[in-house]
Order: sequence, then C-alpha cells, then structure tokens
Amino acid sequence: MEKHQYHIQSYCRIRGCAIQINGKPFFNLVPSVPIGDFLKSAYRHLNIDYPKFHKMDGLCKAIFIAVELMALESGPYQRDTALIFSNRSSSHLSDSRHATGIFDTINPVASPSTFVYTLPNIAMGEISIRHQLQSENVFFIFDSYLPEFLVPFTASMLEDGKAGSVLCGWTEITAETCDLLLYHVGISTGPLHNVEQLKRLYNEEDE
Amino acid sequence: MKDDVFIVGDEAITPLGLGSQLNFRHVVDGHTAVTEISDLQLADQPIYAARIDEAHWVGNIKDEHRYTRLEKLFILVLASLIAEYEIPLDERTLVVLATTKGNVSLLHNPLRTFAEERVHISTMTNEIQRYFGFKSQIIPLSNACISGSLAISVARRLLQYDTRYKRAIVIGGDELSKFIVSGFHAFQALADGHCRPFDRDRKGLNLGEAVAAVYLSKIPTNDAVWIAGVGSHNDANHISGPSRTGEGLYQSIQEAMQEAGEPALDFISAHGTATSYNDEMEAIALQRSGLSTTPLHSLKAYYGHTLGASGLLETILGIHSLKNNRLIPSRGFMHQGTSQRLNMITKSTQLPLNSFLKTASGFGGCNIATIFQKV
Amino acid sequence: MSELTQELKAKIITQLNLEDLAIEDLADDTPLFGDGLGLDSIDALELIVMLDKSYGIKLADPKEGRKVFETIQTMADFIEASRK
Repeated sequence: MEKHQYHIQSYCRIRGCAIQINGKPFFNLVPSVPIGDFLKSAYRHLNIDYPKFHKMDGLCKAIFIAVELMALESGPYQRDTALIFSNRSSSHLSDSRHATGIFDTINPVASPSTFVYTLPNIAMGEISIRHQLQSENVFFIFDSYLPEFLVPFTASMLEDGKAGSVLCGWTEITAETCDLLLYHVGISTGPLHNVEQLKRLYNEEDE
Repeated sequence: MKDDVFIVGDEAITPLGLGSQLNFRHVVDGHTAVTEISDLQLADQPIYAARIDEAHWVGNIKDEHRYTRLEKLFILVLASLIAEYEIPLDERTLVVLATTKGNVSLLHNPLRTFAEERVHISTMTNEIQRYFGFKSQIIPLSNACISGSLAISVARRLLQYDTRYKRAIVIGGDELSKFIVSGFHAFQALADGHCRPFDRDRKGLNLGEAVAAVYLSKIPTNDAVWIAGVGSHNDANHISGPSRTGEGLYQSIQEAMQEAGEPALDFISAHGTATSYNDEMEAIALQRSGLSTTPLHSLKAYYGHTLGASGLLETILGIHSLKNNRLIPSRGFMHQGTSQRLNMITKSTQLPLNSFLKTASGFGGCNIATIFQKV
Repeated sequence: MSELTQELKAKIITQLNLEDLAIEDLADDTPLFGDGLGLDSIDALELIVMLDKSYGIKLADPKEGRKVFETIQTMADFIEASRK
C-alpha cells in the first residue's frame, strides 16, 4: 500500500571498530580496542564539544555518533523527524551494570546515573535533545536486523503524515562489539528505501 | 482513506485478579492492590507496592516449569484472550508485545533458575511465540512507561497500512523486581505509603505489576471502541525529568484531538504517577490543551505503576468505564496539588459516557495521547 | 579540610563522568549546578548516593541537597559537620 517512494538520504554503518558514513570510511581502530575506548576516540574525532556525551552508556554513544555524522550529510534534521530504532540486547550494557551493582555481596549500590540508561529509548531521548527532535519514537526488539518489518513500518509513518522524515535502523551494541546501521529516510534524493537496498548496505564489506 | 481500527476485546491479570471486568468492579468498589511488602528479594526495606499472588496461575499452563514467572503471566492472559474471542492464530493476526524490562529479574541474580540468556526480550518473546504457535512473528517493543499505549498505536498503524494483517493482539507486561525497585529507590521516586496522584501531599509513586492485552480489529463489534486518534511526541528536554512546559504531552494531545476530529471528551485517564514533577507537568499540558475542566483520574493508587503494562491496563479500565457508563474515582486524591487546577473524579458517578483520552509519559522524554470513542 | 575537597573533586569527576575536566579546573567555590559545572538532577541523585556510600551520610530530605551541593566547599563543610 506504499503510495510514495522514499529515499535513504544518508546512512551510517558501525561494525566492530570501523565507522562509515554514506559508504565512506570516517574513523576506525584495530578491532581489539575495547568498545568504550573506541567510542571515546570516535567522539574526539568528531571534534565537537558536548560534555553530556561522556555520561551516556555505550548504546547512546554509538547512536549519538552515527546521528551526528548523518546530520552533516542530510541535516540539520527537522523537528518532525521520527525515530524508529531496533536491536537485540535492548539496554543490556547498562542493565548488566545496574544488576552487578545491586547484587554486589560486599557493597551493593544502585547508581541513578546507571539506572537511567536501563531503557533502550533513552538513546532516542538523548539525540532528541541534541537535535531538537520532537516527534514519535519507537524502539523495537528483534533477534536480528529486520528490514522486512522496518521498511513498511517506516513508510507507513511517513504516509501517515506524522513525520517528515525518519531516522531508522539497527543499533546492537554489546560489551564485545558494535553492529549499527542507521539511515535517514525521507522524500529527498538518495538510494531507494527498500528491503533489498538495506540488506545490501547492512552486509556491505568494508572497503 | 485509512481503515478504522477498533478494540473489540480485552483481558488483564493484576494483583486484584484475572479478568478485565473483574478488575473494573474492584476498582469502582475502591479496592487497591497496593500494600506494604517486606521481601528482601525485592528491597532491603519494606516498600508499598502491588504484587500478583502466584497461586492464581498454578496448574493452568502446560509444562509450566519451562517458563519464567513473567512468561507465565503473558501466557495466561494471551490464552484467556484467544479463547474468549476465538482469535485465529494465522499469519493475518499481528501480535505486538510491550515490556520495559521483560525477564530482567534474572540478570546477575544469584537466585535465578533460568539461563541468563533468557533476560533478552527477544528470547522471552520466542518462548511465548512457540507456546502458542503464532504464524506471524511477535513484534516486541520497549519504550519506557509509554510502551503499552505505544504498542496499541503501532498495531493500529500496521493494520491501517500493512495489508498482511487483518487483526491484532496487543499485550504488555512487567513484573516487580529488585532491579526496578532499587532503581526507583535510588531516584528517590518511591512513596513511603500509598501513592496520591495529583494530590498536594503526594510523595512519589508505588510500583506494581500486571499483564494486560487488547484485541484489535478492522471490523467493529456491537460493543467495540474506536481508536479515534493518536499523537506521540518527544519533549527533547531531559532524559529523566519531565518537561516543565509539558510540551511533548501537549503536542501529543493536540495531534490526537485533531486526528479524532476534536470530540467532546467525557473523561481523561492520566498517567499520574504521583511524583511531584510528573503530575505538575501533566497539569500544565492539560491546561494548555484546554482540558482543565474535563473529569480526570489516575489509576496508579489502585495498581501502582505497572510500567510497560500501565498504558494498556489503564486503557482497558477506561473502556470498561465507557461501557458501564460509570466514572472511576481518582484514588488517593484529596487536595488540589498542581499549579493548574484539575477536575479530579472523586465519586464513582453513573452517567452517559462516549469518549475518553488516555495519556502516558516516560523516561527518555516520550509522551503519547490516545482518544477512544464508543462506536 | 583541603584533603577532603581534593578527594571530593576526584570522586565527582570520575563518578559523574566529567571526562573533559581535571581536578585543577575545579575550584572549591565553583557552583556545581546552573551556570557553573552544569550538573543536573541525575547528578544530584548520584551525589546523594555518594554521600551515603563513601561517607555514611543519608540525606533525609532531597531538598536539603540543594544547599549541600552548592559547591565543593559546602559539601566538604557538610561532611565535616556530620562527622562530629
């Protein structure tokens, strides 16, 4: 029932310790670098001043960097930019940290600044604040990246007229690795927004 | 032209019992599920919360030892809903599942009896999928305290735009755990007694647990309720503190009202967690929306905050309120306690009811407003 | 006393993830909230946990925190007074 054709106005892929924006390498480190150090270095490479970055958990940091890079390509984002993210592990990095704290046998502690990140949609809150996005947010949980679901759902959000464009994709960040594909979907030019295209972008080998 | 989508069935399990009509009767009779609980597995100190009695589900689920406590609750509610409305489990039936934390009580918990892998929401969902043999893949979402209401909106949109689906089951649930209690405690958000939404002397929230489900169809039944309009907007202001201007909630209400054709509202089922900032934010958003005089309740003093279930549970009670033409009082309210006056419902009055607004707001700055109308 | 203020600065920088800040950047009288260091409500909650876990002081009234957490100096004074 898709009436319009939508386009991928920009996209960002983070795999392991390598970041690509619109298929071009932006930053990478050797794969053995811990995720936390990799994300911090990538932030420094962005050359922006946003102290709140350091308070975020790994999920938020990776998403923040990707959304920042896409803004340079197809931004600034309009206020009616909706957010449709998905991953497998939800907010597992922070969940694990909070649970470790409260079940510590010697000095159990619940940290408010950890607990606040134990919801995956907090990442959407963070980038909404950064880019002043005041639209709809949905965070789906799937076993793996599922463009077969996300493509028609994203299109329906645009057809509905509730959003002018959508930041969408897969954001799986674990203690071991990053696997992220985010893309900015709208009516402007770029590769066609369809399942085949997104599978290709997701599976594309590093240059 | 978009198809209309209706709620044609509902079911819930709460500490007050299994069955949505039963829960409605308890609530209009003024019963609350919130009590003082002393349980070291939940908290080091006694807390005021609402917990489901385990005895309710014993013997009702096949191979029940294979499922976690929360999974059993999901299965019970789904089984009851599917049986009552004879819902086909074919590929035309969409299932959307809302939860904030799923099986998180297992995580690093020395007392857990399931593999830690089970904490993943998708793993939990796969177990439920397998139990019922749904032909279409369950769609799980996790969007803080608006998850339940948002899942209704997501299912509605899929029914409107995705021709694969004819009907939908929307289910939401969360359970009490040390994980959640300790976090809210660290946030100093827990009341040391029964919570009092919108009251002058409110001191924080009570936590609760529930699983609630609705059945959506494009074909209305005699007592169907139409999902007339939805709006959902982020505050873009703070990740844990509600906006001081209520901007995201205000925008959500505007959009829902516009889509619904600006109907006269008979009552509002607010989020009303009974924290100081949340209730004040809602009062401001409602005042800005010109809804200060519309009768309003929060149901948090009956069930506590049931997180991912709350939007669904409170929607279901609102629907029963419509069907029974009876307002549900806002338990715990005595004195105006927000800068903008609200028309709090204090008596269980019988009067003709046709439509209501359900709102929810959550961490991450998310808000949602949904308008329901009798057919 | 200055030992305590130094200790507090180090703790605040690590626990509140103020990566770009060094102990030297933080004066005893820098306002912690608002225009100073720009801490927010979550940081305030984190400071309450820190007082409890590191110094055994429980803030009975969260509103009390506003005065206690004005600067490093006010925090140190409060801890000293509570020890007596």
